[in-house]
Amino acid sequence: MTTKAATYKHTLSRVDGRTIRVERVFDAPRDLVWRAYSEPELLAQWWGRGHRLVVERFEFVKGGHWRVVEHWEGGSAGFEGRFREIEPKTLISQTFEWDGAPGHVSVDTTELSDVDGGRATRVVITSRTFDEQDLEGMMQAGMEAGMAQSHEALDALLARLQGKG
Amino acid sequence: MVQYQPPVHETFAALADPTRIGFLERLGRGDATIGQLAAQAGISLTGTKKHVAVLESAGLVTTRKEGRARVCTIGPRRLEREAAWIANYQRVLEERLDHLGKLLERLKAEEGPEEEGRREEQGRPERRDRLAK
Repeated sequence: MTTKAATYKHTLSRVDGRTIRVERVFDAPRDLVWRAYSEPELLAQWWGRGHRLVVERFEFVKGGHWRVVEHWEGGSAGFEGRFREIEPKTLISQTFEWDGAPGHVSVDTTELSDVDGGRATRVVITSRTFDEQDLEGMMQAGMEAGMAQSHEALDALLARLQGKG
Repeated sequence: MVQYQPPVHETFAALADPTRIGFLERLGRGDATIGQLAAQAGISLTGTKKHVAVLESAGLVTTRKEGRARVCTIGPRRLEREAAWIANYQRVLEERLDHLGKLLERLKAEEGPEEEGRREEQGRPERRDRLAK
């Protein structure tokens, strides 16, 4: 597991009201990162987190419809939305909806910027739910689907919030 | 096991404030009066009461009167639902980025080192591929 990206790899996560933000620096030029986001054949190779991903629609223009389905042993999950804004090599803003909570929408923004004079790329993902009902709806559905099993992260957060860290 | 659950957005709103997070951290170490919380945060009693009221209505803090002081205790709510949901969502995003990182390494290897301008000296990326316009 030795990759050159190791020196850059770090993730900052933060919760602020209805917003979740994740940031990471990749040891790769921005052109390459952009390709991984904008070419469906490449997107299919990482977005599914190791699961098979079928990119059913990918109209990569403002207003365009996207839909992907993650498949794994005994299950699948579909996600879709529209592209709200695309700035080549800089920004993708899109609506995001999970089939498990239809009608509950978040807006996900991915921003790319140069690090080290273009040798590396910072990726910032911000996911913001539209309103409180959307957050509630997604959460309820997520709980019912048994998606929340990240106990380590949960324990860490609880420990931090309650001063036991 | 689950009694009354205030809506999740109330919890998020309650947590979206550094002063209130600070109060929860303090109360995690033990009960404190409004006056003690105010002193710690360096804010007025009135401001402290407002923050505590927000935490109380979200079920994160309870208060009781002891003599002339109002004492705050953490709980009864322990944030399990919210924390689990957030933790899960972040985990998904991070796993996705892990796989993006692996793909980028593969793509870099395919493109070859000489093509990708990784020179020893300060190779500035003058080359700009402009898409559209």
